[in-house]
Amino acid sequence: MGNKSGPTGSAKKKGPGISKLLKPYKGMIFLLIFFALVSNGINLVLPKIIAGGIDAFPSHYVLRPLLIKFLSAAIIIFIFTFFQSIIQTNTSERVARDLRTQLAARISTQSYAYIEKANPSKLLTNLTADVDSVKMFISQAIVTIASSLIIIIGACIMLFSINWKLAAAIVVIVPIIGGVFFFVSKKVRPIFLRGREVIDRLNKVINESILGAALIRVINSQQPEYEKFLIANTEAKNLGLSILRLFAWLIPIIVFTASLAGITILALGGHFVILNSMTLGDFAAFNSYLSLLIFPIILIGFMSNVIAQSTASYQRLSTVLELPELKETGTIVDPLQGNIALQNVSVLYGQKPVLKNINFNVESGSATAIIGPTAAGKTQLLYLLTGLIKQNEGSVDFDGRNIDDYNKENFYSHVAFVLQDSIIFNMSIRENIAFSDLVTDESLAKAIATAELKEFIDSLPEGLNTILSERGTNLSGGQKQRIMLARALAVNPKILLLDDFTARVDSNTEIKILNNVRKYYPGITLISVTQKIASVEKFDKVIVLMEGEIVATGKHNELMKTSPEYVQIYNSQQSTNELQPQ
Amino acid sequence: MNYNLNDISAHQQKASTLSILRKLMLLIKDERRNLLLALLAILTNSGLNLLNPFIIGYTIDKYVVHKNYHGVLMNAGLLVCMAFIAFGSSYMQTRMMGGVGQRMLFKLRNAVFNKLQELPVAFFNQNKAGDLISRINNDTDKINLFFSQSLMQFIGTIATMIGAGIFLLAINFRLGVATLFPGIMIFIFTKATSKWVKRKNAASLKSTGGLSAEIQESLNNFKVIIAFNRRDYFRKRFEEANEINYVAAKAAGISNNVFMPVYGFFASMGQLIVLTIGIYLISTGRFSIGLLVSYLSYSTNFYNPLRQLAALWTNFQVAMAGSDRISHILNMETNLPVTEDNRQEKIAALLEFRNVHFGYEGGKEILHNINFALEQGKTYALVGPTGGGKTTTASLLARLYDPLSGEVLLNGRDIRTYESGERTKKIGFILQEPFLFTGTVRDNILYGNEKFTGFSKAQLEEVIKNANLKSLLLIFENGLDTLINSGGESISLGQKQLIAFMRAVLRNPDLLILDEATANIDTITEKILQDILNKLPKETTRVIIAHRLNTIKNADEIYFVNAGEVIRAGSFDHAVNMLLQEKRAS
Repeated sequence: MGNKSGPTGSAKKKGPGISKLLKPYKGMIFLLIFFALVSNGINLVLPKIIAGGIDAFPSHYVLRPLLIKFLSAAIIIFIFTFFQSIIQTNTSERVARDLRTQLAARISTQSYAYIEKANPSKLLTNLTADVDSVKMFISQAIVTIASSLIIIIGACIMLFSINWKLAAAIVVIVPIIGGVFFFVSKKVRPIFLRGREVIDRLNKVINESILGAALIRVINSQQPEYEKFLIANTEAKNLGLSILRLFAWLIPIIVFTASLAGITILALGGHFVILNSMTLGDFAAFNSYLSLLIFPIILIGFMSNVIAQSTASYQRLSTVLELPELKETGTIVDPLQGNIALQNVSVLYGQKPVLKNINFNVESGSATAIIGPTAAGKTQLLYLLTGLIKQNEGSVDFDGRNIDDYNKENFYSHVAFVLQDSIIFNMSIRENIAFSDLVTDESLAKAIATAELKEFIDSLPEGLNTILSERGTNLSGGQKQRIMLARALAVNPKILLLDDFTARVDSNTEIKILNNVRKYYPGITLISVTQKIASVEKFDKVIVLMEGEIVATGKHNELMKTSPEYVQIYNSQQSTNELQPQ
Repeated sequence: MNYNLNDISAHQQKASTLSILRKLMLLIKDERRNLLLALLAILTNSGLNLLNPFIIGYTIDKYVVHKNYHGVLMNAGLLVCMAFIAFGSSYMQTRMMGGVGQRMLFKLRNAVFNKLQELPVAFFNQNKAGDLISRINNDTDKINLFFSQSLMQFIGTIATMIGAGIFLLAINFRLGVATLFPGIMIFIFTKATSKWVKRKNAASLKSTGGLSAEIQESLNNFKVIIAFNRRDYFRKRFEEANEINYVAAKAAGISNNVFMPVYGFFASMGQLIVLTIGIYLISTGRFSIGLLVSYLSYSTNFYNPLRQLAALWTNFQVAMAGSDRISHILNMETNLPVTEDNRQEKIAALLEFRNVHFGYEGGKEILHNINFALEQGKTYALVGPTGGGKTTTASLLARLYDPLSGEVLLNGRDIRTYESGERTKKIGFILQEPFLFTGTVRDNILYGNEKFTGFSKAQLEEVIKNANLKSLLLIFENGLDTLINSGGESISLGQKQLIAFMRAVLRNPDLLILDEATANIDTITEKILQDILNKLPKETTRVIIAHRLNTIKNADEIYFVNAGEVIRAGSFDHAVNMLLQEKRAS
């Protein structure tokens, strides 16, 4: 599916976007329509059989062939309807599944910046409710429309074949009804779009009140949360009611028009029968075909609701499906040694500069600390080194080559990152730690020992197979941080980036872990964002970051002499520094 | 208490179906007038629909056969009037019932969301966010679909069928019974298969919840997915949930479509019976053509709706499956009720733990026989190795959980006897992981604080100055108006902790608990925070949990928490010693 016509064109028509989606399933859909046509086509013949029976009634030998014809028609209808429903279900579910896979694939290749800005709640609605609407189009609308059209056309043909004058008077109802559908559908589409946006908002409110459950209970703010929900919910209700107001006209108009048609048959047809230009049997058949005609028209009326909703949904999905696929451009597979160089790097978050003119070098095997006040940009710097964000200016080089030139798998087998906020998956501890594909049993065991997790895991009845709950709610803050560290170490990295790692562990454990890292991962290049000067006195280099700029670099002793900012930080920790474990 | 929604016992399952129907009935109680109007409209509509073929048949027999055109025109006029009335009643029917459905959906969603707010933190620890979202948005909508679209068709259909059935029996009893016989077969078939259909739908809805949960978790954890080069993890996990959903939805779809062909077949049988027996009766002179034509119409009027019923019954099963999932939430009760106990002790301590034992649901005991007392106005520190039980102890202080045994006394009274509003005003808790809502800094620091609603910017700045918080606002680029995206990267973790700090201080509680609340804040800014804490009213009791020694340096008393035991550490030096030497148990 190379070039695209874009969703802008589809706004004018009723669903060409969806027909593009269905092309791969052509075969199944034709089969589906075929089954529907046969079963409905035979349905058309039934009134003819009845008419034949009535007209020929004087001779009752007609009974047996009549019975056979009718019965066989009924059985064929049964079989075909049955198969039709199976194919219908299969096709619609398959389209839904494939659509979801495509969406997920597209989302999975996006940058972190996109995901963060794209509102995960909207993506959730896309993957669930919007796909469902498209599915309903297939499972309900296609067959209904196809078979209804056939019945309508077939019934019209039958009507014309019996008495063209009467038929002409009746058939005019079809375009009238068509016009009404078109009008209503056009008006209702924007409302459906807004309806889905409100669902996005509902998702977001619910999600926040789940994630913030502890806070809400500690502040007793259940009422304000409810009010937030109420606003979104009320809007959803009002949109639902306005859609209802439009659609409530549809069926009455159809039925009314149909009634008028029936009355026309009575008056005009009755006139013809009185004038002997039409038989009673034909008259009865006319009535039968009319009732046959009405039911599918009403069905299409119900379907217009589904069609409108699914077209709106597909429009939303198109924006995700048409996202650019970020291609892997890096090719270098040489192992990284750990020499890092940043030159004139600047990073903007929106309009705001978070890093300005950053220049520094890190040597392989060295330990570098980054220290600075809150919101200095320390985390953003680490994000840069780990490829989560891109610089707006300047270059980030590893071993003299641009970070983007490295093959991703190669890069991440050498660079590991421990984030500040704990991210735990709802899987076993083993799967959480061995998250990267490259983890072996030995590297796993080594990582667990280094992160001082062995006793904790051994104390659990199911050990490594213990399932951790979503967001790690059954773990303490320090346990989560240690699991994150183990996860990073398990890839046996050459470069380890720690973001304020020791904030959540006690000093005793901290010393043990740092010693473990030096022992089990010799030659590792360490970059650690930290607040504690005592931990970094022995580091090879300390970088002082303030408001996105480097204000000083050097070893501890140099900085104590040259950097007033550094001294200020040191003094604020002074009284307890000598008590800190070395 | 077991709050896991996917772990409901069979007994609870049964109780839930009845209770949800009762709740649904309650929800539409105020809609009685609308329902009555809708019912009236439906009956009018069905009545008119039934009368139609009768009049046509009568016209044929009386006027067409006898070549009386004037009679035909008269009856045609009558039918036109009926058509107009039917137009009005049909519109009313849809408007009324649709309105009932939308309002019921609205109330149902509110009810479920409210119930979630009543339940304790333990509930959220045992269930997945995506699954809960799916229940509130998706499953409620299934109930709505039935109520707004299917129910009125349901009633209309039944009404039409009953009417048609009456006519069939009235015109010719024997023929009528024979005609209705296939209907009975349909009834038996439906009864036999409905339970199976509902089960399949329940499984399908559950798999949708699972899919939702998977998406939710992966999107929230995307940073790690990228940083560990596991974009394929997202695709893989999603595929698994997608496949489960595919299988379950297919099974449900097929089961839902089982009614249609069967109903269609028996409907044809009904028509056949009318035709053959009718013709036979006509040939023996006991029936007329006109009657046969209207009889055919009536049997069509009986069986066509019956075919519609097939689709409606399906929607009903889906709605029932959805309402089961809702009722599981609505039936949950909080395990932290406000109890009655007028015992009031005269103790000096603000808050006291007596023989408290605690463990999380399904886990082993974490806190063993904790005893300590916090006096008003003092600063306490809780230190200890990671995983020792500090946050757990703090959670019990704020009544996020109740102890398994033992008591927690606030101002001499069992903490469980306090209304949550009163308790949360007295006890402030800064959580370890700060949570912010999408909005401005101002929105967040005033969150849940009714004292300052409606304050102008100037008034607010005065309040902030008095609380010594002004310097902290400078760390935010737009001060109070800085925009924050919950879960986003617009501000750093340290800044989030600052906001959480300001939020708690502005509430001016009697007891302020800081659970590693400054862990990611630099030490210089932390000094400002220490200052602010020191300037809090003298009577404020402070409990500080921290790993940084200079954070706890000036505490009046230090408690050492390890392996679920809380021991007085005496002096600061002694505490440091314990930290260095005591073995970490987790």
